[in-house]
Amino acid sequence: MTRFVESTITFPYRRSLGPMLSAFMTALTERRILGIRCGEAVLVPPMEWDPATGAALPLDLVEVGPAGTVQSWTWVPAPTEQHPVQRPFAFAFVLLDGATTPLLHAVDAGSAAAMADGMRVAPRWRGERVGRITDIACFVPGEQPELDGDDTGPAAQPVEIMDYNARITYRNPVPPSADRAVELSRQQRLVGMRCPQCERTYVGGRGYCPIDSIELGEEHEIDLAHTGTITNFVIITPVQYPGQTETEPFARVFVLIDDSDVVLAYQPTIELPVADVRVGRRVAAVWASPGEEIDAGGGMGVSLGALIGWMPTGEPDIADPDLVNRIF
Amino acid sequence: MIPCAVVGVGQTHHKSRRRDVSVGGLVREAVFRALDDAEMTMADIDAVVIGKAPDLFEGVMKPELYLSDALGAVGKPMFRVHTAGSVGGTTAIVAASHVQAGKHRRVLAVAYQKQSEGNAQFALGSGKGASLGAGGAFAPFIRAYIHRSGAPEHIGWKVAVKDRLNALKNPYAHLKIEDISIDKVKASPMMWDPIRFLESCPSSDGACAVVVTDEEGGRTAAAAGRQPAWILATSSRSEPPSFPGRDPVRPAACLQCADDVYRQAGITDPRRQLDMAELYVPFSWHEAIWLEAHRIAEPGEGWRMIDRGETELGGAFPINCSGGVLSSNPIGASGLLRFAEAANQVRGAAGEHQVDGCRTALAMAYGANSQYFSMWVVADRLHPFD
Ligand SMILES: [Zn+2]
Repeated sequence: MTRFVESTITFPYRRSLGPMLSAFMTALTERRILGIRCGEAVLVPPMEWDPATGAALPLDLVEVGPAGTVQSWTWVPAPTEQHPVQRPFAFAFVLLDGATTPLLHAVDAGSAAAMADGMRVAPRWRGERVGRITDIACFVPGEQPELDGDDTGPAAQPVEIMDYNARITYRNPVPPSADRAVELSRQQRLVGMRCPQCERTYVGGRGYCPIDSIELGEEHEIDLAHTGTITNFVIITPVQYPGQTETEPFARVFVLIDDSDVVLAYQPTIELPVADVRVGRRVAAVWASPGEEIDAGGGMGVSLGALIGWMPTGEPDIADPDLVNRIF
Repeated sequence: MIPCAVVGVGQTHHKSRRRDVSVGGLVREAVFRALDDAEMTMADIDAVVIGKAPDLFEGVMKPELYLSDALGAVGKPMFRVHTAGSVGGTTAIVAASHVQAGKHRRVLAVAYQKQSEGNAQFALGSGKGASLGAGGAFAPFIRAYIHRSGAPEHIGWKVAVKDRLNALKNPYAHLKIEDISIDKVKASPMMWDPIRFLESCPSSDGACAVVVTDEEGGRTAAAAGRQPAWILATSSRSEPPSFPGRDPVRPAACLQCADDVYRQAGITDPRRQLDMAELYVPFSWHEAIWLEAHRIAEPGEGWRMIDRGETELGGAFPINCSGGVLSSNPIGASGLLRFAEAANQVRGAAGEHQVDGCRTALAMAYGANSQYFSMWVVADRLHPFD
């Protein structure tokens, strides 16, 4: 059975809206819906260009709605937290009065039986509006717009930027060879796989030789030394971003494992101040204590299972001018 | 293979934050400049190729769908290209390939990045903490180059100054550092030892577009007094990110790509037969590294060309007269900007940063862990070496 690792990443993106969408979003805070003239058509939501030809459109905005007619719909019986309405609702194409293209939005009608093509709907505005399409909480049956909560009024400034908190959860399959490498690391074994063709050794459970396109398995495993020499390094001044875990400069080192051709790239260091990192320095593997949580996900600059980093051995440096070229 | 040419080039004014436009608006600025330059409209275009760095940069999934009507691609073939930092170059190559194969006659290549909408360090670190960033990934390669070539440290500073001086002659460039100097670069903070802040590329919003057409289209433009850039050769190569013995200072894929593009173009002595190059140099030392990995200089000699001032505008072999990636870096577009700037040089359309008498030029983009390479050679005529 393939094991999957689930990861969630979030990021607050900042969208610049441009003049046309800015006008549309600003109008939403005023409880107005704008379309744009495109020849005989009135496009809602407005677009910056003619969708058929790509030609630029003059900023000729026109107010539409607020009520409109459902052209088509689909029922959402079990909304998730990402849906705009937290009870069963319809996604519908709403042709707002005065528009020639429909707006896709939610309709809160209570039940699918209450939905029909041709039904009339009007917006339910949020009391607190920020200049996003969700300033319209949803549409409701009838001709009369509703207000949900206390009205905080229109935006004080034109809305030019939209903050958008994106979040994605994804599952990555972990190949059995990578799982085995992590398992072996829990036994404090640093195991490589040697390609029978080119005799290069790969660490980290890659499971194949990228040079010869040969699959590598347990029969190709060899135990490697737990000591090595720093061949190259980088000291990183951390740039701050949402999710950044570092505040101080930190090192990543490249370790040539003794008695092998293996270089472990971008490795974390332990008990080695950044000022003392240098080419030729002798280091030894540091293992997580049994039961300690480890990152089994892998990746560049990330520890390799229970091998959490490298610390100085105190031995004299190796003086070899060619060491620095061993990055991989 | 059908000969093809660049007949239109357009780009945006690159800035750290273009808060006045949407992504669509940004891309369209470059597109209309390229179409105007080609004296074409969207209706004249048969197919559109779009490239950008990973979607995590702006958080817009499948921008090729989101932007298809913005690019006038409704009812036309639309292709998305994705080869990390080299993507802009590969986008141009895919566009050229469609023309060379006889599939389409006029293809629009577009590439962009709106870095200000997200954060590159976040995106390059796959959304996790302790991201190395591009500088962190490449700093060890630079250390290896400095050690093996014996280059003095001022070489990196010199390139940083040269490219920013060139940028002052390019109205579209992002960084305009009027008082740039060796001392200023030297005094800037160490970001990823041995890379200093001013030896690094900026983070930019920007886009670039080129129109590629067939031989007939190129000849029509030439007859109307609009010099085309004839595409003599294109090539892309890649290699695995890591294996024992891999040399990221002189990557096999880069050498193979350069050899291939030279062979197709009929170039046996690139130093003599090329008049300039736009190379993807996000950190100043990469100029020396790439001079050698493109066989423009012998191993260990690239930094000497820089030291002698040969790569300056007006030097014997100018590099990155536009100011390069060091002056404008809308990542996805950065590769296409190299290809477009090289085309403009042989068209005599580079303005203040024009290389006098430039007839042949090389453009290159690379990406990921120095593992994807894209190159083209352009000239002011189809058979410059006959
Ligand atoms: Zn092998």
